[in-house]
Amino acid sequence: MKHAIELTQGPPAVEEMATAISNCVHCGFCLPVCPTYHVMGEELDSPRGRIFLMKEALENQLPVAEVMPYVDRCLGCMACVTACPSGVEYGELLSPFRAMAEEEERLETDRFGPLRRRMALETLPYPRRLRWALALSQWTRPLHGAVPRGLRPLTNLAPRRIPRTEALPPVLAPVGEVRARVALLTGCAQSVLAPDLNWATARILQCNGVEVVPTAQVCCGALDMHAGRAEHARAHALALCEALPTDVDAILTNAAGCGSGMHEYPLLFKDAPGAERARQVASKTQDVSRFLAQLGDLVPLRLPEPLRVAYHDACHLQHAQKVAGEPRALLEQVEGLTLVELGDEGFCCGSAGIYNVEHPEAAAELGQLKAQAVVDSQADVLATGNIGCLTQVGLHLQNLGSSIPVQHTMQVLARGLPASTDR
Amino acid sequence: MTTVLSPDPSPVRTVPRRPEPLPAPAVVSALERIVDPARVLHSEAERTPFESDGLTAFRARPHAVILVETAQEIVDLVRWCHATGTPYVARGSGTSLSGGSMPVHQGVVLALNRMNRILEIQPDDRICRVEPGVINLRVSQAVQSHGLYYAPDPSSQAICTIGGNVAFNSGGAHCLKYGMTSNHVLGMTCVLPTGEVETFGRDSLEGLGPDLPGLFVGSEGRFGVALDITLRLLPKVPMYKTVLAAYSSLTDAGDAVSQVVASGLLPGAIEIMDRLSIRAAEVSVNAGYPEGAAAILIVELEGEPEQVAADYLRLSAVLRQSGAYEIREARSEAERTQIWKGRKSAFSAVGRLSPDFIVQDGVVPRSRLGEALQIIERLSAQYDIRVANVFHAGDGNLHPLILFDGREEGALHRAEELAGEILHMCIDMGGSITGEHGVGMEKRDYLPAMYQGPDLQLLHNLRAAIDPMGVANLGKMLLEDVPDSSTQTRSASLPANYPAPSQDRIRDWQARIPTLDRILIVGQGGKTAVDTQPEATRLSTGELSGVIEYDPMEYTITAFAGTPVAELQELLAAENQYLPFCPPQAQGATLGGTLACGLSGEGRIRFGGIRDFILGVRFLDGEGQLLYSGGRVVKNAAGFDIAKLLVGSLGSLAMMLEVTFKVFPRPQTHGTLIGRVAHPQAAVELMSRIGKGPFEISGLCMLPEDGGCTVYARLAGTPDVMPERLHRLGAYLAADTQAREDDGDLWRGLDEWSSLPGEAVWRVPITPSRIPALEERLRSSSLRRRYGMGGNLLWLSGEPAAPVTEILNPLGLAGLALQGAQSPAIVGRYPMTTLLARVKRVLDPNARFVSPFPFAGPATS
Repeated sequence: MKHAIELTQGPPAVEEMATAISNCVHCGFCLPVCPTYHVMGEELDSPRGRIFLMKEALENQLPVAEVMPYVDRCLGCMACVTACPSGVEYGELLSPFRAMAEEEERLETDRFGPLRRRMALETLPYPRRLRWALALSQWTRPLHGAVPRGLRPLTNLAPRRIPRTEALPPVLAPVGEVRARVALLTGCAQSVLAPDLNWATARILQCNGVEVVPTAQVCCGALDMHAGRAEHARAHALALCEALPTDVDAILTNAAGCGSGMHEYPLLFKDAPGAERARQVASKTQDVSRFLAQLGDLVPLRLPEPLRVAYHDACHLQHAQKVAGEPRALLEQVEGLTLVELGDEGFCCGSAGIYNVEHPEAAAELGQLKAQAVVDSQADVLATGNIGCLTQVGLHLQNLGSSIPVQHTMQVLARGLPASTDR
Repeated sequence: MTTVLSPDPSPVRTVPRRPEPLPAPAVVSALERIVDPARVLHSEAERTPFESDGLTAFRARPHAVILVETAQEIVDLVRWCHATGTPYVARGSGTSLSGGSMPVHQGVVLALNRMNRILEIQPDDRICRVEPGVINLRVSQAVQSHGLYYAPDPSSQAICTIGGNVAFNSGGAHCLKYGMTSNHVLGMTCVLPTGEVETFGRDSLEGLGPDLPGLFVGSEGRFGVALDITLRLLPKVPMYKTVLAAYSSLTDAGDAVSQVVASGLLPGAIEIMDRLSIRAAEVSVNAGYPEGAAAILIVELEGEPEQVAADYLRLSAVLRQSGAYEIREARSEAERTQIWKGRKSAFSAVGRLSPDFIVQDGVVPRSRLGEALQIIERLSAQYDIRVANVFHAGDGNLHPLILFDGREEGALHRAEELAGEILHMCIDMGGSITGEHGVGMEKRDYLPAMYQGPDLQLLHNLRAAIDPMGVANLGKMLLEDVPDSSTQTRSASLPANYPAPSQDRIRDWQARIPTLDRILIVGQGGKTAVDTQPEATRLSTGELSGVIEYDPMEYTITAFAGTPVAELQELLAAENQYLPFCPPQAQGATLGGTLACGLSGEGRIRFGGIRDFILGVRFLDGEGQLLYSGGRVVKNAAGFDIAKLLVGSLGSLAMMLEVTFKVFPRPQTHGTLIGRVAHPQAAVELMSRIGKGPFEISGLCMLPEDGGCTVYARLAGTPDVMPERLHRLGAYLAADTQAREDDGDLWRGLDEWSSLPGEAVWRVPITPSRIPALEERLRSSSLRRRYGMGGNLLWLSGEPAAPVTEILNPLGLAGLALQGAQSPAIVGRYPMTTLLARVKRVLDPNARFVSPFPFAGPATS
């Protein structure tokens, strides 16, 4: 698509943004895969519409503030990138655009919106703050009715029970011959909300001869990055780069959003200090399922009793990192496990970083659609590769009155480990 | 409102008398009174993304965009637009490649993508009814559990809407065998640009009266908005075999197409991609195309497994001889999907090669494909502009993608010039400027190169009569400033290849027609029931007989309207071809008479009826003016489809002189399975099972007799596999059946309408699900019945005075009497429409042509 964007001025990533726009031929192939287009049914809330709007804003034809409501409503699920025949790197337009817009004044229709957003972004990436916040929400649960309606989307997401936290040791030794040494991003919110998930990941790796070096509980910056807070994101990312060991074969993530965010470091650090190290980190980062699939020759796993497992593609795995076949292949190797596919359109579950906090209505509609698809699949367990999806789909399954548990792929795999290796 | 229809028969000057456009605030506040204000988008940001469709070279910003949610809202909005002279554009997903859904400056956009409900699925009748915003692919998904699918498959089928497909008569890769959108749309309810809500066609494969659905489809939105659409569904293809052949020159690939066609095979699709488009598709979807090829040919065979296996042997022999250096087949459904994904993504994928491109979709005669590609290559070099080619080769439907960078000074202009040269090449070769994308905004400058003088004026006159305010999709297809009619010749000259006596005959008619008040057009005069106007002057097209042009390689034949059907079929048979709708040949039937009565035979159920095979027609209008519409290539989406309109018109609109049909390779043999069941309900169920089963059925009919019903199911193909196929069909039915391999005599009887002396014959379109109720009413009558075309057409014969209308009316059925002068020509109720009345006033303003239709219907508003 032709554009008149001035490439010599504007934000650092203006070239990448212009390239994405230029590659778009306005064919509309992205429309049927876009969850917000499905829910809202209007061009403005489609990738094609947003690209057009962002183009107009970058050309100074439209004020950024008028464009932002539509850009904000994007889940950033990147399903459009997978569907795009023209190779538009939508993410390279969206993140920098949001960062650029962060400087501008917003048109807010929901007065609690900015507060919820701020609260989420100032809490989730900080394990201590998050633990305090969760504890607070537990104690005040009886007073739920007193919470302003506008803040409830936030408190609704808090789990009823906060899991006991036991930090991973500095190094976890491999079982048998050493096949690889990896760093494992334990994450910020994840280490509080689902600590068992990291333990399960570590155990699967250990059993396959991998030495695991867990990182300190720092945030990768993805939440801020995808919310357009580039400065905050860079600060988090720098701290993480600092904390990561350099003598490892790979840096593994087990949260789709983090993995995808870390792959975007080169763009985040464009013309910024620390770019070289950020690029190194990005190039070594891999989702744990892809790492295991590539490692191959894995220890056999057998379930104590047969299970039907449905797999939900986290958008930041499937679309942003193109990881879709690997987790399925890993699950299918487990004896006694039957893998079933969800019969829905494959839309995002509505979690999408802090989307369910920012746009609770659209997120809830998508969450319900996904939960219903899980129920319809008649699976015993839902496996997925992202903490956000875990929380969102779990919540909506609960709302539907379903008791189907949602687990990380690594947790499902760990069910097949011999009892002796169980912690 | 005044009509611009002139009583003067000379060409009408169409100047839309639109009042001054309303200012934006007035438009918005008016709209907000019609629909929920939350769904009236009017801020700059809200309107901007609607500026373009799939063709971004054109942009226009509307005053407002309305997110429509109900049919009533569409009607209310269209009425308001008509009343205020505000131009509107109905838009589905905005994927038009010709700028067909581009907004009009100072107009409004009706966004119909929320109108996406599938209203009804009737698996036994193999139809479904949908709203215009339903996505093409969703239809097949919704009906697949019934063993059915919707055949038209534009490359954008995952997102384009049925409403848009209908407006632009969209094509796709599988048009060669199954035709375009028009062939799969049976009826629709529409709101005309003047606000009337009317229903055209209905739910049967067969229709009655002028083919208004055929006229509406492809009218590029200029005749109104479809509110709901009835689609024809096909049984899912039992088996595909998708073959890739690689060539080291594009011309060789082009020539290979002719060789495949000459072999007598009828593949579902024949596609070509050149080096540039292969590269783009590979980068985009990793389709796994052969490396280093200058061109690849994709040929897809489809049908029953035995037949596909036999055809594949023939196809690979042909491809080997055609100079392909590599031939491979898709070994799994996944591989097939990948091959098609690459092909269908090709347009968008070239976005990776160039920031901007124009895609053309001109058509050339298939045998000149190689030559056309060489010319495009030369033009590309001459203009120094890259052109990627990816096209529906089986139809001769080119898709040159002209790559340019819009930011370069003058680049768009040069690309458009190159595109123009390609379009002129198509016209010069006897093709069309558009095979499937429509004229839209993009090619309207070139329409006058295809239709000149009165032929072009006719399109304008129709538009002006149907939309006097000029509000419906303003600016698409037709440039509003009509060439000045005074400088044009009064009438086009007769083609030079007409023999002198024919020319004299036509000139004589041209002179006589304006002097006569009541004219009855007949062919051989075999359909006596239609001939009920003794006081009218009879003009017989039977005097004009013979083939004008026939090139077996092109699958087209052009003949005078008075040519007997039997003579034509004989000529075609000598080249192993045929008219696949198997028109009845009784009583010396002529092509013109068959077309005017809309008659098809049993072949209808397989590939379509006479309406689906008519490509072009030359005719005289009610003032004796010589006119032409359509084309002589198998695919053409330029202009209004007047040839289809004349199907079933019974001589009421025009006097046909010359007709062009699409023809197909003739099957080598046929076989029939005959089953007996106890009652009509069981017969309908049996036909439904056969019709939805994994078979390629070429004939399916049922005869109610004393004490039961006989069902006949026919297969067509090659003799080597016929016994196996008949056996498999018999086993599938698990009923007591009898197979007949040499069934020619049997079907000559079943295909024809015949009558005993003194008897009347009626032709009644019906749906299978209505048959049991009708049989209940007919049980005690002496009328003989034959239900053909899988239960979509009833042939009724017997006593002319029989109370047929009384029998049909309660079931909402109507029919046409062909034989038996005592019967009224139309039995049952024929609903007159405003659309037809307006068309009549354009084609025959002084109502000289008589007919059984009640034209004194609603007048122009």
